Amino acid sequence: MSAGERLAAATAVGLAAAADVRPAEEFEAAVRPHYADLVRRLVLVLHSRDDAEDVAQEAYLRAFRTWEQFDGRDVRAWLYTIGLRLAFNELRRHRRRLAAMGRLRPVPWTGPADPDLSAALGRLDGRTRAALLLTAVDGYSVREVATILGSPEGTVASWLSRGRARLRAELDRPR
Amino acid sequence: MDDTELDTRLAALAASVPAGEAPPLPKGQRRRFAASLAVAAILVVGVTATASGAVEVVRQAVIGYEGVENPGQPLQGARMECMSPREAEAFLAARGFVEVVWQVESGGASGKGGSTVVQATAPEHGYVVPAAIDRDGVLHMVVDQRTGAEPSGVCGAMAMP
Repeated sequence: MSAGERLAAATAVGLAAAADVRPAEEFEAAVRPHYADLVRRLVLVLHSRDDAEDVAQEAYLRAFRTWEQFDGRDVRAWLYTIGLRLAFNELRRHRRRLAAMGRLRPVPWTGPADPDLSAALGRLDGRTRAALLLTAVDGYSVREVATILGSPEGTVASWLSRGRARLRAELDRPR
Repeated sequence: MDDTELDTRLAALAASVPAGEAPPLPKGQRRRFAASLAVAAILVVGVTATASGAVEVVRQAVIGYEGVENPGQPLQGARMECMSPREAEAFLAARGFVEVVWQVESGGASGKGGSTVVQATAPEHGYVVPAAIDRDGVLHMVVDQRTGAEPSGVCGAMAMP
């Protein structure tokens, strides 16, 4: 192999390696800043810190695998969509496990900052919890939440209305 | 308590949850995933049925649920029926739908000798049929590869991708 051929081969290898690294750097710069908030939402949706961390890690890796297909619009909504869909799958599996195990029920996570709200939130359906957090905390519109959760707008509006009413009723109840 | 106060408490609760760092990205992740996709394409969950039976499977899966492209639905006006299956898969992934069930119909459109295969990845060709999300929140996409199949919706004159 001539010096020119060796240089060309080395350049090709270098370019291939760079092509592999560059998307990873872009991905980390764009997605990593939203990771902590994804974990926080998932803890409140799943009511389990361990499950939330597992799901968030899985969502992060899946997001990386599909990074080249991301349309570049709202990276936070995209990450939440992946994470919440995995979370709802986890909730379904969790229900099946509970049914199989009978009374063996793990202790749910309780938010130290506001245990009353945390407990009331935990009594809502997982999708209602997610819809409330996405609107109240992240400022998404009903239409955007419908897209993230993969549910019709009317259904999301209904979850929000009933969820808020139930939370208010529980928190306003005299103790 | 009004909505503003409730939202403030929700935001404070969310902010109080401790969160760790994102995991490191494994080296060669993309290549391994490409390999796993190839395996997934081969190890499809095969379900054989007559074509008419397959249509019934779809009907059962989405009964009571409107198509995801209809007004008020999460992918309103997406026009995925104008895309190839792979384009639709990329379109969905771009919106965070990375777990999709693809139901591929093949064989004769008359209903005889048809088959249904359910798989995790989109096939290369076929007409994309507007699909629905089932009761468990799983997005189902249908691809019609049957002989004599016709496109649906606004892409009426399109040749089979």
